[in-house]
Amino acid sequence: MAGTTRRHLLLATTALGLVGVTRPGHAATRIKLRDIYGRGAAFSEEALALADRPVQIQGFMAPPLKPDASFFVLTKMPMAVCPFCDKEADWPQDIVLVRLRRQQDWVNFNLPILVTGTLSLGTEVDEETGFVSRVRLIDAAYERL
Amino acid sequence: MRRSIRTAFLLGTATLTVAACGGRTVDTSAPRAASSSITLAQADDPYFRTGQDILARIQAQQPNTNHAKNVILFVADGMGFATVTAARILEGQQRGVDGESNVLTFESFPYLAASKTYSSDAQVADSSPTAVAMVTGVKTRNAAMAVKHTVPVEDCQASLDNGAVTTIFEMAQAAGLATGVVSTARLTHATPGATHSHSPSRDWESDADMPAEALEMGCKDIARSMIEIPYGHGFDLALGGGRAYFLPETAADPEYEGKTGRRKDGRDLTVEWTDRHGAGSTYVWNKEQFDAINPATTGPVLGLFDMSHMQYDVDREKDAGGEPSLAEMTDKAIDILQAKAGDEGFILMVEGGRVDHALHAGNAARALTDAIAFDRAIKTAVDKVDLDETLIVVTADHGHTLTINGYPERGNPILGLAAWGGEPLLGDDGKPYTTLQFANGPGALKDAPRVDLTNVDTTDIDFVQPALVPLSSETHGGEDLGIYAIGPWAHLFQGTVEQNYIFHVMNHASKIGQRAGAMD
Ligand SMILES: [Zn+2]
Repeated sequence: MAGTTRRHLLLATTALGLVGVTRPGHAATRIKLRDIYGRGAAFSEEALALADRPVQIQGFMAPPLKPDASFFVLTKMPMAVCPFCDKEADWPQDIVLVRLRRQQDWVNFNLPILVTGTLSLGTEVDEETGFVSRVRLIDAAYERL
Repeated sequence: MRRSIRTAFLLGTATLTVAACGGRTVDTSAPRAASSSITLAQADDPYFRTGQDILARIQAQQPNTNHAKNVILFVADGMGFATVTAARILEGQQRGVDGESNVLTFESFPYLAASKTYSSDAQVADSSPTAVAMVTGVKTRNAAMAVKHTVPVEDCQASLDNGAVTTIFEMAQAAGLATGVVSTARLTHATPGATHSHSPSRDWESDADMPAEALEMGCKDIARSMIEIPYGHGFDLALGGGRAYFLPETAADPEYEGKTGRRKDGRDLTVEWTDRHGAGSTYVWNKEQFDAINPATTGPVLGLFDMSHMQYDVDREKDAGGEPSLAEMTDKAIDILQAKAGDEGFILMVEGGRVDHALHAGNAARALTDAIAFDRAIKTAVDKVDLDETLIVVTADHGHTLTINGYPERGNPILGLAAWGGEPLLGDDGKPYTTLQFANGPGALKDAPRVDLTNVDTTDIDFVQPALVPLSSETHGGEDLGIYAIGPWAHLFQGTVEQNYIFHVMNHASKIGQRAGAMD
C-alpha cells in the first residue's frame, strides 16, 4: 500500500511540474509535523492536500551535518544526534528535510523553530549526499519561536 | 482477594466526593458526654471517613498462604513514584474525575514494599541488572544480563566460564510450567532478555551487535538465546518488538518497505521458532495475524510487531502493520498460558517497556499514557485470573528524574503549567513553569535563559518538559520504587527490601526452584 501511494505521489509531483517560490508568512498553511503521515508510511489527506504549496511547520533542528550545509532535518521533538552521522541510528519516520533558500544561523537542537517552505512529498534521493528523504520543505526559511 | 480490589476501587470513587464537598461547618452546640471528652469535629469529614475505610480494609486483610500456581510479573520500565503519581492524576483527569485521589488498578493491591534498585557496581542502575535481580535473585553489574556480578561486562570468556545465573523462567521451563514474555520494547531488550540471556552485555541483541571474538568463543546474542532455550521447550509465547534482530539482513522486512533484518549469520530465527516447535506453532508480525490466533489450540507463539520497539500506545493507530495493545497482548498471553498450563501453572512477564523511552526523551505525555496502558494490562490480568492461586507482582526496574513540583492548584492539568486560579505561577525570572520537570535531559538549554512557556501548549503529546542539566538523553533515577502485590504470599512484600528479593517471594510462593530440582 505504501508503495502504491509513493508511486502515485511521484506521478502527481511530476504532473504538477515546477514548484512556485514560497514567501515566508504569505498564505502558508500551518500543519503539525505529526499530521503529515496517516497510517504507516502513507501521507495524510491533510498533507496530500498541501503538497507543493507553502506551509509552516513547527519543530526542532537536528544538529546539522556540517556548518555550511544548506539543509537540516526538522524533528517534532528535540533530537540531539546528527541524523546523517550515524546510518545505523533508529530515526523516527516523521522527520522533514529542510532545504534552505539561503544560509541561516544554526539553532540549538532543543529550541523550537517555525519553518516556512514548500511542502514536497515522496521519496527522493539527494544527488550530492545520497540522503533519502520522504518529506521536504524546499526554498525554506525559519524563525525562532 | 477479588473483593479487596473492588473495595479499593470503591474507595477511590468515594474520595472523589472530597473535592466537591470539603469545608464543612462544625456544630459546636453538640452536648458533651463527659467533662474530659471532646467532640471530634472532623468525624463527618469525607477525608476522615476515607481514612477509616482504609483502616477497616487493611484490618480485614488476610494473608493468602495458598500455593501460587501462577505468577505474573508486571514491570513498567522506568516507572518511579513520580511517574505513578502523575499517571494516576492524568488517568483521572482524562476520565473527567478527580485525578489526585484517583486509584490505578495496581495501586489498589493490598501489599506494597519499597525496592532498592542499585546494581552490584552502580548507584543508579540500568534495566539489565535490575531485571536480572528480579528474575534470578541476585544483583549484577550495570549492562550485564543474567551473569554473576563477578563477570565483567562484555567479557565473553568469563560469562561462559560458569558465569551464568539461572532465571526463574528457565527453572519454570525445566519444571514443565507454561511460560511467556510480553513487552512493548524489543524482545531482545534488557528486561525481557534477562529472562533467558546469559550475555555479558545487554547490547549483544543480535550477532551483528557482537564483537567477532565473542562470537568465535561461543557467546550467544540475545535473540538467538531466546529461541535456543535448552530447558523444556523454552517459551510458550513471546510477544513484543525487535523483529530485525531475528531476521537476516538478506530478508526484507514485511512491514517497512526497503528495510531488512539485521542478522549477519544468515539465520531466520522466526523460521527456526516454528521449526523447533512444529505443527501448530506460529510466528505473527501484525494485529490481524495476532487476532487470528486461537489460544486454545495454538502451539508456541512468537509475535514480533515492529522492527525495533513497538509504538507508544498513543501512536499505535498509525502503525503500518497494526499492533495489539499491551492489554490485548496480556489478555491473549494469559489465555494461551492457561490453555497450556494444566496442573503445573504458568509464569508470565509483562513489560511496559516504553515508559522508560519517553522519559529518556523528556516527553512526559507519552510516558504517562504508556503507564496508563500498562495499568490497563494489569486490569485485564486481574479480571482474568483467579487471585486465590495467582501471585501478581507489579513494579519498575529503576526510576527517572521526573519531579512533580511547584504549588499547582488541586485539579490543575498535570501536563500543564503550574497554576492557581487559572494564573500560572512564576519563577523568579518572571516566567511560568510546568508542574512536571526533569533534573536533566533534552529539555535543558545550554547556557541560555529558560524558554517562556506562556503561550506554549505544554499538554501537547509532543511537548518536551524543561530540564536543568543538558543531556541528549534524560537519565535514570536511583530512588526506591514500589513493589505492588496481590495473591498468594503477596504479604511477604513489606518494608524496604532489596530488588532481588522479588525473585525470592515469587519462588517461595510458586516453589518453582524446588519443582525444577534446582533448590531445596
Ligand atoms: Zn532506560
